[in-house]
Amino acid sequence: MAVTTLEPTTGTVPTRRGPDSPRRRKVRRQAWLFMGLAHVLTLKQYLVGAFFAVLELLFLISLPQIVTNLANLVTLGEPALDVPVKERPNSLFMLVDGVITIALILLFVAVYYVSVRSALTQERAWPPDEPTPPRRRLRDTITGAAFPVLGLAPTVVLLIFFVVVPLVFSTLVAFTNYSAPDHIPPAKTIDWVGLDTFVYMFGGSATWTAALARVFTWTIVWALAATVTCYFGGMLIAVLLTENRFRVTPLLRAIFILPYAIPSVVSLLYWQNALNGAFGTVNRTLLALGLIDSPIPWLSDAWLAKFTVVTINLWAGFPYFMLLIIGTMTSISKDVLEAAEVDGASKVSRFRHIVLPLVMYQTAPLMILSFAHNLNNFGAIFFLTGGDPAVADTTTTGAGGTDIMVSWIYKLTITLLKYNQASVLAVMIFVVLAPFAIFQFQRTKSYREGEL
Amino acid sequence: MSDVVVRRINTAAVAIIFTVVAIAVLWPVVHLVSAAFTPGRSMANMPVIPFSNGFTTEHFEYLFTQTDYLRWFGNTLIVATATCLGTLLFASLGAYVFSRFRFTFKRPLLMGMLILQVFPSFVGMVAIYVLLYRIGGLDTLWGLVLFYIAGNMPFMIWLVKSYVDGIPRSLDEAARIDGASNLRTYAQIIVPVARPILTFLAVTSFTAPWMDFILPKLILRSPERQTLALGLFSFVTDKNNFFTTFAAGGLLVAVPFVIFFIATQKSLIASLAGGAVKE
Repeated sequence: MAVTTLEPTTGTVPTRRGPDSPRRRKVRRQAWLFMGLAHVLTLKQYLVGAFFAVLELLFLISLPQIVTNLANLVTLGEPALDVPVKERPNSLFMLVDGVITIALILLFVAVYYVSVRSALTQERAWPPDEPTPPRRRLRDTITGAAFPVLGLAPTVVLLIFFVVVPLVFSTLVAFTNYSAPDHIPPAKTIDWVGLDTFVYMFGGSATWTAALARVFTWTIVWALAATVTCYFGGMLIAVLLTENRFRVTPLLRAIFILPYAIPSVVSLLYWQNALNGAFGTVNRTLLALGLIDSPIPWLSDAWLAKFTVVTINLWAGFPYFMLLIIGTMTSISKDVLEAAEVDGASKVSRFRHIVLPLVMYQTAPLMILSFAHNLNNFGAIFFLTGGDPAVADTTTTGAGGTDIMVSWIYKLTITLLKYNQASVLAVMIFVVLAPFAIFQFQRTKSYREGEL
Repeated sequence: MSDVVVRRINTAAVAIIFTVVAIAVLWPVVHLVSAAFTPGRSMANMPVIPFSNGFTTEHFEYLFTQTDYLRWFGNTLIVATATCLGTLLFASLGAYVFSRFRFTFKRPLLMGMLILQVFPSFVGMVAIYVLLYRIGGLDTLWGLVLFYIAGNMPFMIWLVKSYVDGIPRSLDEAARIDGASNLRTYAQIIVPVARPILTFLAVTSFTAPWMDFILPKLILRSPERQTLALGLFSFVTDKNNFFTTFAAGGLLVAVPFVIFFIATQKSLIASLAGGAVKE
């Protein structure tokens, strides 16, 4: 978090001038000795110093609890089957409290470091020949020097507790035996089992290994198919709309936006019912038109269901890329196109050599991000098929024919209570997504301009 | 073949494609609207030709009198509004701080957020239940809102930050020379100038909770704290089949969305394309 508030252009970054003065050494010593000590004793910043000191006091007071929490995190409680359920050690709380405690310790260390930096920065702003430090009102501190800290503090706290702690917790659960029926708190305790669950999922159990391989492959195939169909479907419509000026073009565009505008929970649940083999309108319409003789099992045949989810996803997803590509096409400079026309390039070659490369160049990164999004596109699968139809191993593993990794995690968590196996899947997702994190990182302007 | 013939064939082909796609897009929409006004209860009662089986508004009456639809709607509205406001405040403040200040841990924080934005927060769903149980946030709307805001932060801060980076620093310097504090500069210079991106952010963070299913499903338990997505889903599970009620309820949510998206399509296109070119 923040200490200095030097706006790169207005403020000058104070440079070190020779060896530290005795005063600076004193401030540093005090600041490291106890949080806020330098602020109170030397810098006369009583309120700020008191605030820091209270933080450290709170930390010291809760030290026994912190040690207990950490010890519990290691043992996760001993089974105590002879006492009532309510009084038995709850491994789950020990695990989550342990993770939260570690987060709080790290946060405390960070704030400690920030307080030292704050003391040293203020010492630097104190002219060497002045006997007393420059006076600063609390209000100025809050809207001035402490502004970045206070502005970011809520965000950082939210991120740590609601994003980082869950991710760490889920990862840790993969190394425990937290699962039904034998290891569900509060009645039973859970234990660390190292890599056992990973071994079980990756070869130890033939059924689970086969299911994992099946679901993982389908997740990748699904994400690829969903992204490619929506991208090129959207591009086709966008190009046709921009290149052909019919009188009804605005109306068409408004129609084509509909799947994007209708909440997917509504449209996909509609499709689920409409595609029902026995009583869905799709089959009944096709039968009435005489196009088919017997109902098609759109969602109940494992292979056909895969094809159906990709198709329906195209219905729901093409407008996003259509809008995106219309936007990029209209932002292409007219001069370039006119210059090409003057040089005698035909409409087709203008499109192939100017419009298409530009559009591809600008939208390809979003295609990659869309792939990452589709890997975890829970709604597209869950609302349409619920992961069904059942296949050979579904009774044991819970994974149906169209389940992707996240919808399988959902089932393992909500219905089967196999939390440890769900967490192994979550860890796999982290590994798969890591390259996308790096990709995201490298395409930011900050990275390219050397800010990061 | 002459040019004219080629052009005619071309136009005809394009017209056919448009017709087919338009039918494919409109077919389910028309059927959905029809289902909302057709007597009967399940999908099996729905006619092949829309609106050919009579007309009724009883599903809407049922929705408002026999179900908790209004309450779901209210809950979702509260969650969406709170998420939107919280995201706006924290993301704009965070973006301003990251764009204009230097401070300890700036680099690790920026990088951490960039990495976190790739992982959807519900992947840690095993933890969400336990964590909220521990802090008393289970089965509460604020627990859900906090998760939404936290989940929005990494991406939104980066998005707004790259926009604020593009605002000339001379603007805030002028304000500061006039004696404005950081807070004033933020509220009176940065926020007004960054309005386009903040509007985009407000719309995205407001609309998302209306469609989200998995987080409310994990967090909210009691019948009076359901959101619209959960409620609509409950009409068409294996146990229940109130398809026409679902259609009526779905229609009521979809209509404002459709009107909004069609009315704002010009700026929607611009902001989507802007997002692609930037960053």
